[in-house]
Amino acid sequence: MSEEQRVSSIETRGVAGKKRYAMVVDTRRCIGCMACQVACKAEYDTPLGVNRTWVPYKVVGKYPTVKKQFLPRLCNHCDDPPCVRNCPVDATYKVEDGGFVLQRYERCIGCRSCMAACPYNARFMLPAHRTYSSITRVVDKCTFCFHRVTQNMVPACVQTCVGRSRVFGDINDPNSEVSYLVARNPTQVLRPEEGTKPQVYYIGADRNATEFGRDAYHKPDVMELDRSAFKRNFKI
Amino acid sequence: MGDYVWFHDVSWHASYAIYFFVIGICSGLAFLSYGSWITPALRPLREKAAYLSFALLAVGGVLLIADLSQPMRFLNVLNPAYLNFTSPLAWGSLNIVAFGIASVLYLMALKKGDETPRTKLIATVTALLALGLPVYTGYDLTVHQSRPIWNTPVMPVLFVALAIASGSAVGSLVAGGNEAARKVLHQYLLWSTAAVGVILVSILGTTNYGGAASELTFVILTTGTMGLIFVGIGILAGTAAPVALLLAPVGHKQSGLMLSALLVLVGSAALRYALLMGPQQLQTLY
Repeated sequence: MSEEQRVSSIETRGVAGKKRYAMVVDTRRCIGCMACQVACKAEYDTPLGVNRTWVPYKVVGKYPTVKKQFLPRLCNHCDDPPCVRNCPVDATYKVEDGGFVLQRYERCIGCRSCMAACPYNARFMLPAHRTYSSITRVVDKCTFCFHRVTQNMVPACVQTCVGRSRVFGDINDPNSEVSYLVARNPTQVLRPEEGTKPQVYYIGADRNATEFGRDAYHKPDVMELDRSAFKRNFKI
Repeated sequence: MGDYVWFHDVSWHASYAIYFFVIGICSGLAFLSYGSWITPALRPLREKAAYLSFALLAVGGVLLIADLSQPMRFLNVLNPAYLNFTSPLAWGSLNIVAFGIASVLYLMALKKGDETPRTKLIATVTALLALGLPVYTGYDLTVHQSRPIWNTPVMPVLFVALAIASGSAVGSLVAGGNEAARKVLHQYLLWSTAAVGVILVSILGTTNYGGAASELTFVILTTGTMGLIFVGIGILAGTAAPVALLLAPVGHKQSGLMLSALLVLVGSAALRYALLMGPQQLQTLY
């Protein structure tokens, strides 16, 4: 991205001398094993009812030519993150070198302003009781595995992905795999119209999965049952 | 069928709508108390409106703090080392504190029976800070660019109109049989409620002509239970009906004004609830 195209001083993609980590998700290679979701849960002991990464799917087509369209989701670590702008106490911030959008748990007041600001539903409230952690009742999200990446490892979800659907790296480095994939493949980001400049790029994502579903018009009864059961059991 | 979706929770729950309602009345009453310095007919309301406004500020403050998942950390928003001025909540918290201090000074001056220009100046400052309350609550929603309905520049204006309408409604109930005050409040209530109606029509019109998210939000807000609350109670019973009543001869009588005031209060509560919750529903499906 050239200097001319950059409109916000917070953006670091294309800035010389700075890293800008990004993830490429090749949906053609995703088999829906949910291993990424499990690896993430194991890495962070994410409580029941909330997820840092999740893999929703839609069944598209008409019998007999039907298929499941998977769309692995996570925080997009936006280059111009609205959650950072909206936090009244600077509890959420962007790491300049690397572009990680992180959370200061000890500072978060739990106003949920960042949750409202996120167009991707990537943020969630931690429940009041957790077994192995004292971090409770604050907003949490995917960190791009900051603690692993700074130790020269890849995020847990990338490490475990059996189909190599998820690829992680520095998009500012022209020799990185993510740069190569973004340069050589048609990619898309989620909700580009919001101007957040997401750094999770999808290859082969289906419109049925990336756009607002028509479910809002005709919500199947089973969905409402699931939703009410979810609300009943997970008081988040 | 067979789709797997993850159910996301709404960010702000109904308790936030109650806060909007309470702080709107608080602000509207502060306007009335200040208005009594300019419009002599409102003089009997000056102290009552100021005390009631301060009491509602205390209630609103408690509601706002209780809504935080870490209520004991509410002082973080006043810590200069933490404050992030790109957030409307940061400005809002400073506005609330400043309004609270100004209200205390104003009440102390009123208690002394001080009717000097100095007290009028404090009343002016208090009213200006009161104006900031609905402006910041509206702005708090406006800044979320991914939410249809919220992300409209008129949202702070709508909240100001709602604050004047709800404050005038409570003022009408408090004024009772005072005919001079009733005439002024009748005008305040009529014009502010009509302004609410015009802004709502404008918001709904532009939303219906928007993209997929706007279109779906329009559907959510105008059908089903949310449609009953927003259109039925908020627009028809809480905006159109009181305007019609206030324009009719019966609206000039005490009973008509009081009925209109009650309708406006119920309607403005419903509108705040629907405007807060409706645009969040679609996002839970994404």
